[in-house]
Amino acid sequence: MREIKICDVKKDFNNEVILDGLNLTIPSGEFFALLGPSGSGKTTLLRLIAGFESVNSGAIYLGKQNITWVPINERRVNTVFQNYALFPHFNVFDNVAYSLKIKKVKKDIIEQTVIKTLKRVHLEKQIYKSIHQLSGGQQQRVALARAIISEPDVLLLDEPLAALDLKLREKMLVELIELQDLLKTTFVYVTHDQFEALTVADRMAIMNHHGEIEQVGTPKEIYEFPRSSFVAKFVGTTNLLKGALRFQEKKYYVEIEGLGKFEVLGPKNKKWACNGCNVLMSLRPEKIEISKKRLEGFSNCLEGTVESIVYYGRSTQYHIELKNGFVMQVFEQNEEHFPQEVIDYDDKVFVYWQKENVVLLEK
Amino acid sequence: MKSNSAKAEVAKRDRSFFMAVPAALWQFLFLYIPLLFIVGLSFLKSLDGSIFKNFTLHNYRELFDLPFLKIILRSFALAFFNAFFCFLISYPVAYFLALRVKRMKNLLLFFLALPFWTNFIVQVYAWFFILDRHGLLNNALLKIGIVSRPLHILNTSAAIYIVMLFCYLPFMVMPIFTSLSKMDKFLLEASSDLGATPWQTFYSITFPMSMAGVKTGFFLVFIPSFGEFVIPSLLGGGKFMFVGSMISYFFLETKNVFLGSAFTLFSVLFLVCAALGIYWIFKKLFN
Repeated sequence: MREIKICDVKKDFNNEVILDGLNLTIPSGEFFALLGPSGSGKTTLLRLIAGFESVNSGAIYLGKQNITWVPINERRVNTVFQNYALFPHFNVFDNVAYSLKIKKVKKDIIEQTVIKTLKRVHLEKQIYKSIHQLSGGQQQRVALARAIISEPDVLLLDEPLAALDLKLREKMLVELIELQDLLKTTFVYVTHDQFEALTVADRMAIMNHHGEIEQVGTPKEIYEFPRSSFVAKFVGTTNLLKGALRFQEKKYYVEIEGLGKFEVLGPKNKKWACNGCNVLMSLRPEKIEISKKRLEGFSNCLEGTVESIVYYGRSTQYHIELKNGFVMQVFEQNEEHFPQEVIDYDDKVFVYWQKENVVLLEK
Repeated sequence: MKSNSAKAEVAKRDRSFFMAVPAALWQFLFLYIPLLFIVGLSFLKSLDGSIFKNFTLHNYRELFDLPFLKIILRSFALAFFNAFFCFLISYPVAYFLALRVKRMKNLLLFFLALPFWTNFIVQVYAWFFILDRHGLLNNALLKIGIVSRPLHILNTSAAIYIVMLFCYLPFMVMPIFTSLSKMDKFLLEASSDLGATPWQTFYSITFPMSMAGVKTGFFLVFIPSFGEFVIPSLLGGGKFMFVGSMISYFFLETKNVFLGSAFTLFSVLFLVCAALGIYWIFKKLFN
């Protein structure tokens, strides 16, 4: 098992810069997700690791080996394609056995290995079926089996579940996690779907529209402690309020025009934070309490009017218009059959939050 | 509601059948009916220009006195080798056009189809100027010094093969090009990703995936080549009889339509058997 190191990689297509000096280390044996909007260059990065594209400059290492110019077929890296790219003129067995046949492995060993691998993806009953007879989910499993059979150092997955329906996708996500746990292969999973990335990843990298990596971290770090407003907005939903940072009486506040002063935790290790400079205050909707009554024990409180209510079943989303016109999103769990307090359109409500739940971001 | 939509579905299918009627009618009137005439004629015999009404196998018996088997085999060889050489030359062209050329693909395809824009007879006559004793080819060969005396190409079977190859090339390139273009390019990436060298990818993925095009192209060349009449007569100098020239000889020169019909039927039967045989070999070889 070897880590992937991407050093100052530059790549352009027809003079359009996709990646401009990208650096990233993907630790060995981890389930790593590359999350970014479409056009962020995450697929390009994946294709560079696989060898389908070559870099303009920079280097890619697999362990200590520089694989930048190693041909595709000699890299111990296999890919699960978005459209599966199964060989239509082969059946399931021949598709899965392909890489072993290429290596001229003995027939009986091929057969044993194919059966073992198909069992891992729960497809042993379909072994001699033609590809056209399989459902989308089953084709996905064949693609997976074909890619893991020769035990690569790295498995690349390019939006592998994009074509599946929600229920099946959730099931496959769990299976992928179990498979990675079993194989201990490095999985690099490219997706634009934050739910998938948060679910599967041990660690993830967020890429922005310019092909730059905004942040690398565990899903929890990314979600709870985003380091930029892009990450805060792209992963999950958040309320971003502009204000000025103030330091008064050993406490930190963000002063927002038209709303007042709100206490926050001190900005540790944030070089850009200074007394009086402009900052963004990120506040996740589910970390906000909503009530028509005055509540005790919260460090911050604001008044607003209910503008819209969307009922999701397990939760309800409120849009609260504040005094300065900012519309704040709030999520509430629907914990009770018969809520004691019914909130309706145009109600005057209070929103509350704790200072610990605020993330300060650079303006 | 459901049964209504099902009925509508059936009605739609019925209507679509009617759309095929004009073409079917056309083919029935101008192919199958004349074919029946030929079948009928082949079992009749002429005496002093009048039609013998009795059923007779005389024409077929007479066929065996002619070198007709030799003619059919010669036509078969021409058709088969023409298709085979077309395949050898066309495959790299189609491969290059479909998988390597990124820009100006349409322009190159246009040049490939350009011969279709000129009259067939004109094309064939143009070859006279190339293959003649003092033609372009001999001049060029003499200039370069490859040969010391002009080659005798015109009116030989070499001339027939060269021009046949030229005229039928697009029929082979097009279907192979189409099947290679339609192929999912990710399959090639998947193959090399799984460890295959470019050559291994070619013979286990690319070539099998283009087999449908190869088969189509082969038969598009093979079948008309078997009955080809213009090129052998013009460039072979009439020295070699092929099926096409034999049939025209029967119908246009000797006016022996009865023997001609028998010969036509026999060669068609042979062609069908040969095509089926080749199809079977394709299946055995590549499945």
